[in-house]
Amino acid sequence: MSDLSLSGGQELVLGATPGATDLATAPARPALVEIFTSGINSALHRFPKVRCQEAAAVVTAELAERWRPNWGGVKTVRLTFPEGIEFLPPPVKRVTGPGQEKPQALAGPQPPPEMPPRKPTRVKPPPDALSLEDRLFYLLQPPLETWLKGQELIMPFEPFHYQYEGIAWLFSQKGALLADEMGLGKTMQTITAMRLLLRSGQVGRILLVCPKPLIPNWLREFKSWAEELPVVTIEGDGARRQMLWTMPGTVILLANYELMVRDMESFGEQPPQFDLVVLDEAQRIKNRDSRTAATARGIPRKRSWALTGTPIENRPEELASLYEFMEVVPPRATPDLRQLTRLAKQYILRRTKDLVMTDLPPRLDRDAILDLAPAQRSAYETAERDGVVRLNDMGDAISIQHVFELVLRLKQITNYDPLTGESSKLERLEADMEEIAACGGKAILFSQWTGCIDWLVARLARFNPLVYHGKIPTHKREPVLAQFKQDPNVHLLLMSYATGAVGLNLQFAGYVFLFDRWWNPAVEDQAINRAHRIGQKSPVIVTRFISKDTIEERIDRVLQEKRELFALVLGEGEATNQSLSMNASEIFGLFDLKARHGKGTRQIGPAPAEQAPAA
Amino acid sequence: MGSSGKQEAFRLGFLTALEIPEKGYVGGLLVTNQQGRPLEFQCTLPVKPNSTQEILYGPTLAGFILGELIGVALFEKAGVKPHLVLTDCEPILELREHIAAPVAFVAPDAGRPAPAALPAPDSVLALDANGGLPQLKVAPAANGQPGQLDEAGGSVPSSAPAEQPQGVEVRLGRQIIRLHRAHVEDGGTVQAGARHVPGDADLSEPFERVRSALYEALRIGAAK
Repeated sequence: MSDLSLSGGQELVLGATPGATDLATAPARPALVEIFTSGINSALHRFPKVRCQEAAAVVTAELAERWRPNWGGVKTVRLTFPEGIEFLPPPVKRVTGPGQEKPQALAGPQPPPEMPPRKPTRVKPPPDALSLEDRLFYLLQPPLETWLKGQELIMPFEPFHYQYEGIAWLFSQKGALLADEMGLGKTMQTITAMRLLLRSGQVGRILLVCPKPLIPNWLREFKSWAEELPVVTIEGDGARRQMLWTMPGTVILLANYELMVRDMESFGEQPPQFDLVVLDEAQRIKNRDSRTAATARGIPRKRSWALTGTPIENRPEELASLYEFMEVVPPRATPDLRQLTRLAKQYILRRTKDLVMTDLPPRLDRDAILDLAPAQRSAYETAERDGVVRLNDMGDAISIQHVFELVLRLKQITNYDPLTGESSKLERLEADMEEIAACGGKAILFSQWTGCIDWLVARLARFNPLVYHGKIPTHKREPVLAQFKQDPNVHLLLMSYATGAVGLNLQFAGYVFLFDRWWNPAVEDQAINRAHRIGQKSPVIVTRFISKDTIEERIDRVLQEKRELFALVLGEGEATNQSLSMNASEIFGLFDLKARHGKGTRQIGPAPAEQAPAA
Repeated sequence: MGSSGKQEAFRLGFLTALEIPEKGYVGGLLVTNQQGRPLEFQCTLPVKPNSTQEILYGPTLAGFILGELIGVALFEKAGVKPHLVLTDCEPILELREHIAAPVAFVAPDAGRPAPAALPAPDSVLALDANGGLPQLKVAPAANGQPGQLDEAGGSVPSSAPAEQPQGVEVRLGRQIIRLHRAHVEDGGTVQAGARHVPGDADLSEPFERVRSALYEALRIGAAK
């Protein structure tokens, strides 16, 4: 310590640590008298009195032999990824050259070299994933393009960018409604997302439910997009199905809706459990009180996906049933329009062809307004006149079924006159088909009636037509589609709306004929999109046959209004409670039905506000 | 695939770190199989030196914290040990002096935006300044230093200028990686493992995943 201070101007005190010597006790110097040059008497020069004074240290000093930085342990957080399911390794073919043989992976999704590099598609954690582990699981997955690009998963061809986005979205969603417009590849996106979930150990057991006619289609798509995935179809007698449902080690079970309902009910309180349940054509559960909807909701599962190109067929409220299946609303919840829209943003992914498929050939719609043939006209007018008279006579006893019967009868006559076989539609169809066949083209024709289809087959024999409707046994349907695709002499496929409108890939057909009109524009669109979908190379020409001055014109007018409303609801979210298929009021409105009322008449039929859908 | 590793012929560890103002350094190690599929991820809580440590360690501080503290902790605690540790943060190369596995530096891909240009997750930027992290932005890491964050969004110079060690260079996937200069023997190990890695594998990409995960962990940690 060297604290030096003056005390009273006379005394210099040296602060010292305790024990220091007092300088004042040191021997005094000999007295010298000097004359300073300044003239000051040196006798006046005096030594200050100096002494040491103890003072407490401000900081306690510590002595240590050494100092080591103590960093403590570094704390870490660890996430181990679940073990995925191992499948057969990608097939490798051997390319033998002169003196060498090297393995070569089969073609993965390699983008054409001229394509500019695009932003990789990353899996994002869903908003409802809250834990750090869940969120990191998704964030740390490689970009989908890397994941799929021939390194581990062989793909038949490169998915489109919007499909990558759809796959990434599905991968991360526990509840999801993939509502892409028909033809945009919902099947492929679903299969690939399933594949990634299986590979990453997120799911181990999947149930896929679809309409019965689509089972061969799904099997074919699985083989094409994920041939390593084992798929078991639920079929056979009851005992066999029980065995299939509960067989251990099954990865993907494929069932139709009818068997799902029947078999799940037989399981009672202990149904088989799944990590993921996928409902294809999920509009089948739009009625939440139906057995199908209740059964689907009752299957124990961790993830729930719904697939449909028409999430709203009739009313926006139909979404509530789908949401309930997806477990994003409580049971029996009745979300209002605002809530439905909010939920849609999180749980529905819908893209339209216009938005994503700028390179898809256009769909050219044309209405063929045809005059009825003379005998047809006569038969039609007689039937309508008699039918309306009969309905009017029934007065208030009239029901929707009575009107419906008349509508169907008249529609059948516009197809052909059963007595004479005259048909202006057939004449036009034959003319068009001559041209199509001459060019080697292929066409699909849809009708509401199997009887009409069978009637057409005999008259269009020169085009080698094939038939695909509900009366064709399931095991014979695939060969029909295969022959239609492969046989150059077959130019026409006759299909019923009920069987052929959904799920089939017929993009090699460039022409679609709607021989008669369905009640719902969404179903007609589904039918058309069998041909107008990914893979279609040329424009698809859609011909709608409409008989002039008949009930078909009136139906067409109503459907057109419905179509506009449909676009409004899904496009802008400004839904109304209007039914999109024809309701009872609208079907009554097809005729000018009046009952006698006193001396005059009054209109018959339900009030316009009634919304019960007719179809 | 977890730790059993039926197809894990060559496991890669992607180790990188961030420096966060006021909080210190965080590191993350993503262990993948040779195809880039994640097997395990581990990250540290922030490690912050005090002023004495800053003075005493001087310019060696970053290398010490990143290589010896964070790197060693992440490697030693890993349940699935990588056969090769890759880093895009040059000070972490010093980890090689403390572990038996090879460590290599992956220079930022010229064709890839530097980490500074990568958009930080919205969730991080949206954090309430009072509730946790301030608005953050990553400073360039092109010099091989840890990505740094500053409130103003400006570039913060690294605390330790990178020296330019020269080590063995090996092609792995699309990149050329540089091994620790004192361990030339690692070249043989890496070359033997490199045959399992696809030739078009992008070894810079997994670091983006690690950074995203670190941001997410920080965001959630700050929110708690």
